Amino acid sequence: MSLRSATLEGLAPDVRTEPIVAWRAWALTGRRDGARLLLRPVAKRARTWQPREIVQASCRTSRRHDAPDPLCTCGLHATHTIDVLRRTRCPAVLGRVALWGRVVEHEHGYRAQYAYPQRLRLICQFCFWMSDARRSTPDHVGWFPHDELIPVCEEHLAVGRRNGVSPRLVLPASEVIQRLRDAYAVDPLAV
Amino acid sequence: MDIGQPKRIIEIEPATLPLPGEIAPDPEAEPAARPAREPEPAVPEHHPS
Repeated sequence: MSLRSATLEGLAPDVRTEPIVAWRAWALTGRRDGARLLLRPVAKRARTWQPREIVQASCRTSRRHDAPDPLCTCGLHATHTIDVLRRTRCPAVLGRVALWGRVVEHEHGYRAQYAYPQRLRLICQFCFWMSDARRSTPDHVGWFPHDELIPVCEEHLAVGRRNGVSPRLVLPASEVIQRLRDAYAVDPLAV
Repeated sequence: MDIGQPKRIIEIEPATLPLPGEIAPDPEAEPAARPAREPEPAVPEHHPS
C-alpha cells in the first residue's frame, strides 16, 4: 500500500451526477451457432456481464469491504485511453463503458462500483497488439472449445491455421457483432 | 492491465440509470462531425453599382 493510497481514504469524494465513460476490453463467449453471446472480463475467473443488466462490482479477495476499495484492486476496470488496453490478455471486444456509483480514479483509468457498456466493436487481437484499434477489424470469429470466441482478420486466421491453431468453426464477424449489439442494446463503436 | 496509482474518489449518482441511450453523446467514440456549411443565399445578392 502506498502512502498516496492511504491518504485517499481521508479525502472527501468528488460528487457528480453524470456517469464517466471510459475504454474497456472484454473476452467473448458464445455457442457454436453464434447464439448466447456474452462479454467476459479478460481475467478468466471473473463473472460474465449479462445483457441488459447493470454490472455491480464485488471483491473476490475480501468480503469485508465494498468494491471498489481505494486500498484494494477490486472494482470494474476501465481506462482513459485505448492504448493501455493493447497490453490486455486476449481482448476480443473493445468498447466504451459507463461507470458510476463509487469510482476510484487512477493515473491511467478507473475502478467503478457499477458499469454498463455503451458502444462495442470486435477486434482482431493480433492486429490490435501490433498496430492499433483502427487497423484491427476482424473478418471472422473463430469458435473454440469451452465456447470461446476469437475474432480474427483473414491474415491471422491463415497464420493460425499454418501453425496448427484452427477454430472448430468460423462465423462471419459482421453477423456476430450485430448479434452482440442487439443482445446488449448498444451502439456501434466508430473507432 | 496496469492503471497506475489511485488519485481520487468520485461518487456518481446519475439521475437516470446509464443503460444505452440514456447518457449524453460520447464525443470520443464518434467520428468528428463535419463543420456546418454556411447556407448559400437563395437569391443572389444585389450589389447596387
